[in-house]
Amino acid sequence: MKHFKKLVRPYLIWSFVLIVVPLFLIVLYAFTVDGNAVLTLNFTLDNLKKVLEPTYANVFVKSLALGAVTTGICLLIGYPLAYMIARFKESTQNLLIMLVTIPMWINLLLRTYAWMNLLADNGIINRLLMKLGLSPVTMMYTDFSVVLGLVCNFLPFMVIPIHTSLSKMDRSLIEAAYDLGANKVQAFRQITLKLSMPGVINGIVMVFLMAISTFVIPKLLGGGQYVLIGNLIESQFISVGDWNFGSAISFILAVIILIAMRVMKRFDKGDE
Amino acid sequence: MKKSKKLFSKCYILICFLFFYLPILVTVIFSFNSSKSLTRFTGFSMRWYAELFRNSEVASAVYVSVTIAVLATVISTVLGTITAIGLSRSRKLLKEYLLNVNNIPILNPEIVTAISLMLLFSSFGMTKGYLTMLLAHIAFCTPYVITSVYPKVRGLDPNLANAAMDLGATPAQALTKVVIPIIRPGIYAGALLAFTMSFDDFVISYFVSGNGVKNISIVVYNMTKRINPTINALSTVVIAVIILVLLAMRLLPKLRRGKNSRRPGNRALAWAVAAICLCAVCLTLPKGMGQAGEKPSLKIYNAGEYIDPDLIGLFEDMYDCTVIYETFESNEMMYTKLSGGETYDILIPSDYMIERLIREEALAPIDWSLIPNSEYLMPEVTDRSYDPGNVYSVPYFWGTVGILYDTSVVDEKDLKAGWEILRDDAYAGNVYMYDSERDAFMVALKALGYSMNTTDEQQIQEAFDWLTDQRDTMAPIYAGDDVIDNMVSGNKALAVVYSGDAAYIMSENPDMAYFTPEEGTNIWYDAMVMTKDCANTRLAHEFMNFMLDPENALANTEFVGYTSTVSPAFEEMRSGTYKGIDAYVPDVDNSNNEIFAYQEAKVKKIYAELWTKVKAK
Amino acid sequence: MNKLIELKNLTKNFEDQQVLRGIDLNVYENEFLTLLGPSGCGKTTTLRIIAGFEEADSGQVLFDGKDISALPPYKRPVNTVFQKYALFPHMNVFDNIAFGLNIRKADKQEIRRKVEAMLALVGLEGFGSRDVTLLSGGQQQRVAIARALVNEPKVLLLDEPLGALDARIRKQMQMELKKIQREVGITFIYVTHDQEEALSMSDTVVVMNEGMIQQIGSPTDIYNEPENRFVASFIGESNIVEATMIEDYLVGFDGCRFECVDRGFGEMEPVEVVLRPEDLDIVDPENARIRGTVRQVTFKGVHYEILVETDIRTYMIHTTDYTEIGKHVGLDFGPEDIHVMWPMGSY
Repeated sequence: MKHFKKLVRPYLIWSFVLIVVPLFLIVLYAFTVDGNAVLTLNFTLDNLKKVLEPTYANVFVKSLALGAVTTGICLLIGYPLAYMIARFKESTQNLLIMLVTIPMWINLLLRTYAWMNLLADNGIINRLLMKLGLSPVTMMYTDFSVVLGLVCNFLPFMVIPIHTSLSKMDRSLIEAAYDLGANKVQAFRQITLKLSMPGVINGIVMVFLMAISTFVIPKLLGGGQYVLIGNLIESQFISVGDWNFGSAISFILAVIILIAMRVMKRFDKGDE
Repeated sequence: MKKSKKLFSKCYILICFLFFYLPILVTVIFSFNSSKSLTRFTGFSMRWYAELFRNSEVASAVYVSVTIAVLATVISTVLGTITAIGLSRSRKLLKEYLLNVNNIPILNPEIVTAISLMLLFSSFGMTKGYLTMLLAHIAFCTPYVITSVYPKVRGLDPNLANAAMDLGATPAQALTKVVIPIIRPGIYAGALLAFTMSFDDFVISYFVSGNGVKNISIVVYNMTKRINPTINALSTVVIAVIILVLLAMRLLPKLRRGKNSRRPGNRALAWAVAAICLCAVCLTLPKGMGQAGEKPSLKIYNAGEYIDPDLIGLFEDMYDCTVIYETFESNEMMYTKLSGGETYDILIPSDYMIERLIREEALAPIDWSLIPNSEYLMPEVTDRSYDPGNVYSVPYFWGTVGILYDTSVVDEKDLKAGWEILRDDAYAGNVYMYDSERDAFMVALKALGYSMNTTDEQQIQEAFDWLTDQRDTMAPIYAGDDVIDNMVSGNKALAVVYSGDAAYIMSENPDMAYFTPEEGTNIWYDAMVMTKDCANTRLAHEFMNFMLDPENALANTEFVGYTSTVSPAFEEMRSGTYKGIDAYVPDVDNSNNEIFAYQEAKVKKIYAELWTKVKAK
Repeated sequence: MNKLIELKNLTKNFEDQQVLRGIDLNVYENEFLTLLGPSGCGKTTTLRIIAGFEEADSGQVLFDGKDISALPPYKRPVNTVFQKYALFPHMNVFDNIAFGLNIRKADKQEIRRKVEAMLALVGLEGFGSRDVTLLSGGQQQRVAIARALVNEPKVLLLDEPLGALDARIRKQMQMELKKIQREVGITFIYVTHDQEEALSMSDTVVVMNEGMIQQIGSPTDIYNEPENRFVASFIGESNIVEATMIEDYLVGFDGCRFECVDRGFGEMEPVEVVLRPEDLDIVDPENARIRGTVRQVTFKGVHYEILVETDIRTYMIHTTDYTEIGKHVGLDFGPEDIHVMWPMGSY
């Protein structure tokens, strides 16, 4: 089998060029002035210091908070859903999981536009409300619309890993817990929940990652006042043109996430 | 008791699925709407499907999305699979290094990956386009393949390959005949994941592509300007294809059960993949043939939804050439692309950006003798401050920025307040501001009676205070181009908009009216300019002349809704299609009106930072 | 002996498939009772109904005379050892065994004492902090038994507990299970498809097939007096011969009449006769009424298995004496070696 060792070589080179070098470039830009001029590197910490200014620090806090709220709601809705799906017979489970997956294949932007049309002040939902004689509700450009859009788009990423770990679980473990005197709540808390933790953690990580770095959904459903890390990075690169500052924000975001991953991993392992 | 629980969980699942499918359902329903509205269903029609199949931009986006997804899937699956197999035999250190590196694109936020790749391509001086997009897609798909294949390889009995080789198989045969068939489920799962990720990707594609190469997501994103049910028709088609593939996957095994197929699921998947590949090839053929000829070509970079697409085809036919047409979202984005090393022949930016490009010596002078149609240009649009004497620019559209108001809600008397109406308590929560630092600060500076091009920090600070006060008291929505659709639906009473957009909104919603305050406003000009890199200046001049042709200009202004710079077209619209819509006629008499001037980088940064502070409390 | 569990006319269907067709069974205190039968006979379903994991479609489960059909599993005074042990992979050996006690919020000190005692009982002293997923099959088995017994159930249910172990350890565990049962002195209900296991461990064997009980009896009864062809062929090896009960104590087959010890089948009734291979003797053909030729001789360690072909059928004989292939021989047996039973389908 040692013949196969050589097979990693192409990817070794590939990953160096397309993963390691680009990351290095971000770091380089983050620590320099006018990174466009490659030959004259002027190192500085100003870009990073700027991130700490209240305005930008606030954006980080807001993004992390929104990510936490979205993740929490996804978990609250997604766990019961995954749990209920896992209790059907296998063929039904496959069908239901397929139905959870399909929306992911349909363009995220299109689904977000559809929400815009549903939630707008004169949108579909408000028209229906008015037809029913109720007063319309402002939903667009609020926390509600942003969280709704994020949850709708990211919920499958919570449901699928949880369902995977729940369906892998041996049903006889629950029976064993009942047999040993645990009632439904106790059996759920001590066995089902604990054993589905890897899926839960996986789901939390995926949803949180996507929620804090997204910029399209908040921009469309939250309006311009919804400045999150993603929007900030995008605007630095696309409209302001300050690539160094943009890289600094990206760098800090990446660092935060890598630290969070480490913590999560330890938590995951400690639990097992 | 058990039954009621089952019922409860069924209801719960149903509600969740409703939540998932509601937006999709809306998308599908409104693809059959006879009018452009996305909130009011006026009748059944197939017109958006007809438009979809006529729209060459969408067709080429589908082509790009599908071919990129198929190529990225195939390449990343092969690369990922051989890497996973190799990894299981590697030394511990190398294994850990590679697995960690491999995790980076999965764990890193998409936007960070996108930016790192963009920096990479521009550092290497690679022209952004199909190749960069493909490389980027392979780069972010391969890690997913490796993570789904590697566990299967690790669970493999190491003696299997040895047994195969003991029986006379070469290492390659051992791989293809023994190892790969066993880990096949993992490979399929990885491939499916890669395809999904690639096909649906927006963020990374958005940053790394260029030169007219757009996938479906980018086209959809650029369509925000005027939401267009064509895109609903497209997504309905995508949904239909997905459903067909899924049905095929479920039905094929049943049909083939009679024959001895050992792994029906996998076969079905193979069929589905084959079908997709076939579709991709079919789509490739006409495209490939179209590009076969060695025609002269012209690369144009314009704002989104800012030209009548029929005119491009007409021009191509008339001058037997190929037009590579690409759109940007804002002047700044265009500039970013240019500084990223992109080259174009013709750009259509705004006044202040033209001024900047002139200063940076990025433009080539116009030879007016090659543009006989210039005689039709309105005198009001020529020789403006951004390019005195029109050395570099040929005016394209023009207009003002003003306030669009709902006549059924807003009291005419309140309009006397000018820009201050945007701080009138009566309309708190009922205002759209334009989400761009220059336009927002223009409103504030004009309201305060200053020049909108001020560099006086004191004045800028006052404007900032005006904006934060407005933010706190009025809770305005800082909207982008989605303001157009919102105002067509009459969602709020007041909105800061461009006159061209106002004209379009007023033509769709008669309740709306437009006014420009006495304190003055931004009067703006968008113009065609030729870059220094332009290789075929003759063709470029022909294009500019073509756009000034009264008939073409009329078609263009009718399509876009913005005010034409060509006199006969302007007059025709004013007295014809847009009769009575005053937003179409810019207010040129107000001496308080100004044109945006180029800002020094330092000043620009001040504005940008303050604007971020306004938005992110 | 007191009746502990009483099953009354249990039936159960799984999606139009009748799994139990009326099970009546009494289980007594301190009894080692085995449910024996081929897979799909309903033995595991019966066990799961007693444990409370399945609900019977009709019928009753009485425990100490009280109907417990409606009680959830966690309120029943029984504990189960699962087929694949169902040990909680996220807990160590100690926590697995202590699970039931922790649920009942027992005193920490007491838990420790009881768990240690259990570990000693199953021979796993000092294994408390081990990871259960890293134990051998036999060790996992012991943990599963300890985890169930620590709750001091009145009845221990064991669902094919030795099925996943290899032959040598299985033998050893059989003896230990029997020992443990004697030590703790409670009722064991044991499910298996292995007849040898059933015969060697049980006080009572319940043979089941197709959702019905075929025979209930002590291992010797079941072996020596099978009530029908199914029991006869499932338990041990046998020669089953269609015969006619001529009258009480007289049965006819293979063209001859034989004295027997069975009565009460009526006169001239079609019956079946079981002849265990070890009850048949090979004799000189001249002294025998059934004669044939030796066709095959297989050495089985303790004995030879010899197939003798007569004009009508082939008999299997187990004997310690060697006979040559092709030899003409006679078969002999006494009246007490003939077991008459009702033919298949008539009970």
